[in-house]
Amino acid sequence: MSRVRIIGPKDRVDAALRAVQDLGQLQLAELPDRAGVGPARLGPARERRRRQLTRLLEDVRDALHSLSVAPQRVAPATIATPDFARWARLARRTRREARTLLDRQTALRDERALIARYREFLLAVLPAIRKVDGSKRLTSHAVVVPASARGAVDGLASALRAELGAEFTMSAHPLPGGDVAILLILPSEFSNRLDARLAEARVPEVPLPDAYRSLPLAEAVPQMLARLLAIPAEVEECERNLAALGKARGGEMRKAQAAVEDWLAAASARERTAETGHAFTIEGWLPARSVGPLEQRVREAAGATVIIETIAREDWGAEDAPVVLSNPRLFRPFEKLIALLPLPHYGTIDPTPFVAVFFPLMFGMMLGDVGYGIVLAALALIVRARAKPGSLARTGAEIAGPCAAFTIVFGVLYGEFFGDIARRTLGVRPLLLDREQAVFATLAAAVGLGVVHVVLGLVLGAVTAGRKDPKRALGRGMSAVMVLLIVAALLAAFKVLPARLFTPAVILLLVTFPVLVFAEGVLGMIELMTTLGNVLSYARVMAIGTASVILAVVANKMVGAVGSTAVGLLFALLFHLVNFAIGVFGPAIQALRLHYVEFFGKFYSPGGRPYEPFGHGTALAVPLTQEKPA
Amino acid sequence: MNIMWIAIGAAAAIGLTALATAWAQSRIGAAGAAVLAEKPELAGTVIILVAIPETMVILGFIVALSLILRIGGG
Repeated sequence: MSRVRIIGPKDRVDAALRAVQDLGQLQLAELPDRAGVGPARLGPARERRRRQLTRLLEDVRDALHSLSVAPQRVAPATIATPDFARWARLARRTRREARTLLDRQTALRDERALIARYREFLLAVLPAIRKVDGSKRLTSHAVVVPASARGAVDGLASALRAELGAEFTMSAHPLPGGDVAILLILPSEFSNRLDARLAEARVPEVPLPDAYRSLPLAEAVPQMLARLLAIPAEVEECERNLAALGKARGGEMRKAQAAVEDWLAAASARERTAETGHAFTIEGWLPARSVGPLEQRVREAAGATVIIETIAREDWGAEDAPVVLSNPRLFRPFEKLIALLPLPHYGTIDPTPFVAVFFPLMFGMMLGDVGYGIVLAALALIVRARAKPGSLARTGAEIAGPCAAFTIVFGVLYGEFFGDIARRTLGVRPLLLDREQAVFATLAAAVGLGVVHVVLGLVLGAVTAGRKDPKRALGRGMSAVMVLLIVAALLAAFKVLPARLFTPAVILLLVTFPVLVFAEGVLGMIELMTTLGNVLSYARVMAIGTASVILAVVANKMVGAVGSTAVGLLFALLFHLVNFAIGVFGPAIQALRLHYVEFFGKFYSPGGRPYEPFGHGTALAVPLTQEKPA
Repeated sequence: MNIMWIAIGAAAAIGLTALATAWAQSRIGAAGAAVLAEKPELAGTVIILVAIPETMVILGFIVALSLILRIGGG
């Protein structure tokens, strides 16, 4: 990264800023704090315009959200002349119309849900209501009682039966959700006293839909049932209208959004420039290779009176510089795995290349099966071909590719093809080790990988610290040496290495011990213990792998275990499918964890500021609150 | 050695560590889900936190395997 300062006459500031925005490479820095230099002000006219455009943007975003128009970036350069006044009117109208349609749709859905809730009850009581409708002496009332008041219903029935005798009948129907719908048939003259009786019996009433409350039940019920059939068509009409509105105005709204966001971003950038009575200054960060193009663009746009100077490295601190990960094409997908953590500090090590090598290696070591590897490679190729460049699916497929390759390589080393199929049918022998039998050899290989990975982490930690803190670098280096010495001593003790190496290894350990304590204090010893624990943690590579191969073998055994071969084959396929899903997910998570916890813990220094250059389509504008449509 | 005790030992090694891991992950996972709802950018940290207790069951698995294969002679 380079830090540059652009200085020029005040009347050239807009042209210079436009050139900076067009290039889209400069991240504007905080305002320089110097005597006589103050932050630039927008002026009353631009302030007023900013307020208007902020409102316009709110309308546009709400309209697009209400119309469910898919977000699609429109390049501001393609917009010939921004017509903010027309867009403001159009956005307001579109927002209003979309809101009206959405509100109508919500009301219709609520109405349908409400009537649908009563539907069974209405169908059950309709004959009784029709019968009562012919009688002048009797009348019918529908009451919905909430679930919490169900107990009071029996008390009410007893009281009314005692008061009205045989002329009173009541039928109750449970509704979905626990409420109870009750149909009361009672003498007409008692009708106006019913509300008082309900209140006395502490039976709260859930109201029927507003539109039908004033109607007699004999009219309301058929109307409600007919409405239930009519509502879906009305909802569909609303949806059609919304889609048509989105199609007609979505493109224009997107254009308006791009132009307004661009203007607001430029206004915010203007405020981040500093000025004196006659001059302006802009400071910012950009990749060193972009300094030349910036100079050329700004000079072309604002003239030769505008000067661009690169600020010396000694005059700025690494903690202020933004961080951008820049890796070869093959490693770039793995930057997404680093992006799950805070960015590394400027000037420290970018772990992407190490992750790009060790992540697929660990994945392959765990899954290690030619058959599963081929399936994974095929899936990765299909997804990669179909997904858009830069999408998450595409990145996932690009990470899965190397993982599949390592899975096939380790599958060959382990002699596995969908478990033991190749071994049983073709007599294939493993080239390296049989994971099903040689459990301890697999464990040793996993821990061996742990030693290499953790020691590499410690070495990287020493290199990172070496630039600023030599004592800490010494401690990290000494930890790496001690881990290697402990491993050598153990291997010599178990006679894997010549036994005569044991004593020298222990003597060297005793020599390095005080150096570690000198470099890192007592905590260094505790950290060394943690580091040894970290190495043992790589045993999971063996554990996950062994579980995977045993499940695959079990799947194969199902073919003979079930009576019918076809059924057995089906079970085996199903089991392999499940094992494949677990086999992809488990190793990915475990490999990720081994990197994040065991490896990064030794050298990774989080806290870097992301690189967010000022350009077209950048988010310097104030983000607006987005209200969701009901 | 009595094969029954080896089997019980192996079962305890994997069973108890699995229970411990499950309990720890349930607590961390619930808290992690709440964190992600508020701050999705902390996904990496949450993955680390959820994955940390897994070491227990993995070491339990290895101890159980060692018991069965080395001592059990299987």
